[in-house]
Amino acid sequence: MIFDSKNYNGKVTKRPRITTNEGPPDKYVQIVVDITQRPDSTYPIVIKPYKLDLTQFGEKVRSEIKFTIANVSDKDLEATVVSMPSELMDLTLPKMIKAGKTAEGMVKLTKQGVDSKFEKTITIQLNDDKASRFTIPVKRDIRVPGQDTTKVVPTPVNAGGH
Amino acid sequence: MKHLGLAALLVVGIGLLVSQASAAAPRLTLPEESFDFGIVPQNSKVSHVFWLKSTGDDTLKIVTVSPG
Repeated sequence: MIFDSKNYNGKVTKRPRITTNEGPPDKYVQIVVDITQRPDSTYPIVIKPYKLDLTQFGEKVRSEIKFTIANVSDKDLEATVVSMPSELMDLTLPKMIKAGKTAEGMVKLTKQGVDSKFEKTITIQLNDDKASRFTIPVKRDIRVPGQDTTKVVPTPVNAGGH
Repeated sequence: MKHLGLAALLVVGIGLLVSQASAAAPRLTLPEESFDFGIVPQNSKVSHVFWLKSTGDDTLKIVTVSPG
């Protein structure tokens, strides 16, 4: 399911309905997003850049990108992966980010990821009191003049942005 | 008497077949019904895969999926 956060602000819940030949009642899935204009120090961590762009211009393969996670809270934090498209990328996260310190993470594309154009996301969760979650968009496009040989990774339902 | 017994068996057999046929039904099971993305920046497309499992004894057909 895809959700476009557009210019929403704050908590948004979407419940796409699934109708099947099973008959009523229909079934639902639900997504919850907490949209912010720009993640800042009001949260326990600050991820920079907060959107990862692996767009490749020309023939030279661009397959990895680093990002930093600054722990702006007063507690040491651990981050774990909740959801990510592992067929397209591998994610390296620091084991622990000490209070007030910054650590580095990295996204490295798999072979399939290198050969694809996509807009996907990685969701991580902290071990703070709220079990805060952060979703990092990861985008890849390939712009080689005169060529269009990459696959577009499909995603089935667009549930967002109206 | 023997014919009567056979007829009764036939009726019971047909009855069982009919009841089994009417019991066959599609069924959708959602192993995960909800996903929390947490903090998301504006102007981003976020995505998550929900698995749909067909757990009935007849073919499950997805008729429509409507955005929420």
